[in-house]
Amino acid sequence: MTALLRADFHVLRKNRRSLIMSILLPYLILVSTNSVQSEQSFGGALFEIGLALTYGVASTSIMGYPLALARDRENGVLQRLRVTPATTKEIMGSRLAVQMVANLVIALAVLSLGASIHHLHLSIVQYLLVLLASMVGGAMFLAIGQTLVALIKTADTVNSAARLVYIGLTLLGVFGASGALGHSWQVASSWSPVGTLMTLFASVLHVGAWNTHDSETLLAIVGYIAVFTGIGVTQFKWDAR
Amino acid sequence: MTTEDLGRDDASPVLEVEHLSVSYGTTQAVKDVGFEIRRGEIFGLLGPNGAGKTSTLGAIEGLTSFTSGSIRVGGLDVRKHGAQTRAMLGVQLQATSFQPQLTVIQIIELFAGLYGVDASPQALHEQLTVIGLAGEAKKAFKQLSGGQQQRLSLSIALLHDPLLLVLDEPTTGLDPQSRRHLWSRIEKRREDGGSILLTTHSMEEAQAVCNRVAIIDDGWVLATGEPQQLIERYKDDPLVRAAARGAVTLEDVFIGLTGGALRD
Repeated sequence: MTALLRADFHVLRKNRRSLIMSILLPYLILVSTNSVQSEQSFGGALFEIGLALTYGVASTSIMGYPLALARDRENGVLQRLRVTPATTKEIMGSRLAVQMVANLVIALAVLSLGASIHHLHLSIVQYLLVLLASMVGGAMFLAIGQTLVALIKTADTVNSAARLVYIGLTLLGVFGASGALGHSWQVASSWSPVGTLMTLFASVLHVGAWNTHDSETLLAIVGYIAVFTGIGVTQFKWDAR
Repeated sequence: MTTEDLGRDDASPVLEVEHLSVSYGTTQAVKDVGFEIRRGEIFGLLGPNGAGKTSTLGAIEGLTSFTSGSIRVGGLDVRKHGAQTRAMLGVQLQATSFQPQLTVIQIIELFAGLYGVDASPQALHEQLTVIGLAGEAKKAFKQLSGGQQQRLSLSIALLHDPLLLVLDEPTTGLDPQSRRHLWSRIEKRREDGGSILLTTHSMEEAQAVCNRVAIIDDGWVLATGEPQQLIERYKDDPLVRAAARGAVTLEDVFIGLTGGALRD
C-alpha cells in the first residue's frame, strides 16, 4: 500500500497544473464576489467562502478524479497493478486517499485565500472544522465521481458526462438556492450535493450556531456518500473492454 | 514455508491448468483447456486472434474469472490464494502499461514495493544497468521509445524472480534488435531454471524457442507437444500439406489445424 500511495502522490505532484486549475475557479468566485454589493446579494463572506470551497472540491472530485481513473483503465494501468499481489481494495484505496489529500490542499488554499480577500480572522477551530467539512464534502463528490467512472467505460464519455454533472450540480446549487427558479427548486437545491455542502460550510464557519437542520444536512451528505460509494465500488469495471 | 519457497520443488509443475472454461455472457471464450508447465520450460500458447489465448492468460493472472476448471500456480489454487499466486507470477501484458507520468525509477520503486523487493539506490541502479536504461532513470515512461518501454516492462516482470514468467505477445511492435534482445533474455531465463508461458503470433520464433506449445482455436486446445513432435505428427495431414511450401514447419501445422481464413 505504501508503494502505491507513493506512486499516486508522484502522479498528483506531476499533475499540479490541474490542482492549480481547481483552485483557480474558487479564487475567481472569491474575487468576483468581493464587493459590498456582491457580499449582500451572495449572503456574506462566509457563504461565499463556502461556495468557493464547494466548487473547488467538486471540480477536482467530479471532473479530475474520474477522468484520470478512466484513462488509466483504458491504458491498462489498472490491469497491470491487478496482476501484482496488491488487492483491488488497496489499488482503489490508494487512489481515493491521494484524491482526499488533494481536496484538503485545495480546501486549505481556498480558505486561506478567502480569509485574506474578505479580511476575516478565522480561529483555529474554524479552520479545522472547515477542513473537516471539506473532507466530508470531498468524499461525497469523490463518490459521485467514482459512480461516473463505474457506470461509464470510455474516458471520453466519462469526461463529457462529468462536465454535464458538474454544470448541472452547479446550476442547481446557484440558481436553485437563489429562489429564482421557484420554491420547489430552492428546496431541491438545498438538499442537492452542492446545496448540502454549502450549508455545511456555512454552519461550520458560524461556530456555535449548529442546529437540527445542519444535522439533517450532514446526514444527507453521509447518505450521498453511502449510496454513491456503493454504486461506484460494486459497479466498477477494471477493464475498459 | 514462505511464498517464495512455494512451487520451488523441481519435480512439481509450476502451473497446472485443468478443464478451464471462461465465458463472457453467452460467449464461451475458453473451453475445457488443460496444460501444465514444468520448471525450466518455455511453453507457447499459439492461436489466431480471438482464439482464447489472452482469456486463458487472464484467468491464470487473476484478471478474468473463470466459469469452471482449476488453475494452480506453485501448487496453490489461484481462486483460494489469489495474492500468493500473483506474487509467484511475473507478468507482461499485451500493452506495456504504466502510469505515463511516472519516471523509470519511480515505476521500478513502485513494483519493488508491491513485491517486497530490495529498492535501495544500488539495487535500482543495477536493475537499470541490466536493461540499458541507466541513463533514462529520470525520464517519464511516456518519453521512452517502444523498445525501451518493452525492456522496462520485462524487467518489472522479472523484478521479484518469479516462479513463472507470463508474456502476452511480447514481440508485437518491436524492431528486430529489440526482438532479439527479448528472446535472448527469455532464453537466459530458461537457462537459469525459470519457467515461461508466452503467447506469440511468430511461429518461427515459437518453433525455435519453445520447449512445448499448445495450439488453441475457438477456445479449444487442438494440439499440445514439442514443436518437432507436432510437425512429425501432422506432416502428412492433407490440410497441413496444403499449407506447406517445402518442408513442413510449425506454421504449416498451425495453419493446417486452425484454417487459413482471416481472423478479426
